[in-house]
Amino acid sequence: MRPLPQPSELTRPFWDGAVAHRLLHPRCDACGGAFFPPHAVCPACRAAAWSWQESAGRGTVHSSTVVHRAPQEGFATPYVLAVVDLDEGFELMTNVVGAGALDVTTGRRVRVAWQQVGDSVLPVFEADPEQEDASA
Amino acid sequence: MSSFPKVAVAGVGVTRQARRLEGQDTLQACLEAARLALDDAGMTFDDVDGIAGRWPGPGGTVFHPGSLDWGSMLGLPLRWISDTYPQGIPAALEAAAAIEAGLCSSVLVLGGQAGELGEGAVAPYTRPDNEFVATWGAFTAAQFALVAHRYLHTYGVAWERVSRVAVTIRNHGHANSEAVMFGRGPYAIDDVMSAPRIAEPFGRLDLCLANEGAAAMVITSESRARDTGRPVVRIVGGGCEWHRQQYVQPARYEDVGMIGQDAARRAYEASGLTHDDLDVLQLYDVNSFEVVRQLEVLGFCGQGEGADFLDDVDISLGGTLPVNTDGGLMSHSHIGWGAPTLRIVEAVRQLRGEAGTRQVPGARTAMAGGAGSGAQYYNLLLLQRG
Repeated sequence: MRPLPQPSELTRPFWDGAVAHRLLHPRCDACGGAFFPPHAVCPACRAAAWSWQESAGRGTVHSSTVVHRAPQEGFATPYVLAVVDLDEGFELMTNVVGAGALDVTTGRRVRVAWQQVGDSVLPVFEADPEQEDASA
Repeated sequence: MSSFPKVAVAGVGVTRQARRLEGQDTLQACLEAARLALDDAGMTFDDVDGIAGRWPGPGGTVFHPGSLDWGSMLGLPLRWISDTYPQGIPAALEAAAAIEAGLCSSVLVLGGQAGELGEGAVAPYTRPDNEFVATWGAFTAAQFALVAHRYLHTYGVAWERVSRVAVTIRNHGHANSEAVMFGRGPYAIDDVMSAPRIAEPFGRLDLCLANEGAAAMVITSESRARDTGRPVVRIVGGGCEWHRQQYVQPARYEDVGMIGQDAARRAYEASGLTHDDLDVLQLYDVNSFEVVRQLEVLGFCGQGEGADFLDDVDISLGGTLPVNTDGGLMSHSHIGWGAPTLRIVEAVRQLRGEAGTRQVPGARTAMAGGAGSGAQYYNLLLLQRG
C-alpha cells in the first residue's frame, strides 16, 4: 500500500497546511533563510527560532526521473519524481502530475497542485502554463 | 608522507553469495564469513580484541543490537567495538586508528544478510521510511537517478556513453563463478539499453543486485600481519566524506556530484600515491552513472568528462584500468551494509595474486570505494601489496 505521511510534532504544520492547500516551509527568524525539511535549528545559521511561511507554490524543476517500477504497491506507473526549487529558496521532493507530466524536466517552471490520497493531501506539481521555462 | 596508521588486512572471508541463502540467517552467514577470514589470517577468535559488525539480527539485548553482542555470544573480552555506518571502509579506517592508538590489536569486521530479503520489488533498506521521501514514491535508485539526470543535463552527455560501463562490469560477473550472476550474459550495449526502465535514465541492467551473503575481514597491525606468513596487504590511505543523512533531503548533483574527491585527495596525500598508481579499482557500482562519477572523483578525468575518458581507456579485464574485476555490485553481489567489505575483499585478492582467471597481472596497488552521490556519502581505501 502506498505510504502516507505520519506527521511528527515538528512536521505536522506542513501537512495541516496541505489540507488547507497552503504550502508551508520553515524560514529562519535570524538569517531569513528558507529551508526544508524542518529541523530543530536553521541549517544555515543554527538559530533555533524559525517560523512557518507560506510559499506561492511556484518553482523550477531541478531534476526529475520517470519511474517505471514503483518501490511498493499503490503507485500507478509511470510517474514523475522530481526535485523542485521553490521561488522562496527551498526545495521539495515531489511528483509532477497532469498533462505532459512525463515531458516535464530540468528547468521547467511548475506550480503546486493538491492531490488527495486517503486522508492525506499531498503537494504535487504541474507544468506552469504561464511560464514555459525558467528563462521565461 | 603522513603518519597514516601502519595496518594491514590480514584475512578476508566470504560465504557463498546468492539471490537467497536458503535455510540460513544473517547470524549464521556472518559467523561463517568470520571463521573464513580468521582462517585466512591464520588466527582464531581468541586473537580478536575488537569488533566492528553492527549486529545484523536479533540481539536479545535491551539496547539496539550492536557489535558488543558478538562479544557476548563468542565469549570474547573485547577492548574496542564500533557500530560504524556502514561497515567495510569506515570500519577499516576506524579500526586502523584504534590499532595505531593502541586501543586494540586485531579487529574483526563483518556484515551481510541472509533470510531477510522477501519477494518485494526492492530490498527494504532501499525504501527509506521518511515522510518527505516515501510519500512520493522515492527509493534509492530513483534518488540516484535524480542526480544522474542532472549530470546528463548539465554536461550534455548521452546516456548510452555512461551506461556502457554496465556491459563491462556485468561481463566480469558473467565470467566469475562466485558471482550471483555467473553465466548470465555476456551482454552488449543494446542489451543494457533495451532492458526495462526502472527510474530513468536507469534500466534494470544499470542497477546493482540486492542478494544474500556475508563478508568479513581481519584488520591488524602491519607487523602482526607479517608474522602470519601470508601475503601482506597494507591499508596505505583512506578517507570518508559525509554530506547529509542519506535519502531524506534530495541529493543535488551540485552538492554531491564530486563527493569523494576530497576524501581521495586526503588518501593520496596519506599514501604518497596518485590515481596513476592504481592498478585496479573496486568501485561502488550501485548504478552505471556512479562508475563514471567515481572515475571523475578519483582524478582520472575532469568533472563531466567521464564518458569521454571511457572512449580512451579500457576498464575491462585486460584493459589498462580494470574496474570491478569480480562483477561488482551489479553482477557479483550486493549484501546491504556488508557490500563495501566485498569491494575490499576483491581488492585484497587481486593484490595477493589470488584472483584466479580474473587476476590483473602484477597488481600492486588497488582502491576500494563505498556508497555514492545519491547516498550523500562516500568512502575509500587505498591498499598496497608488500
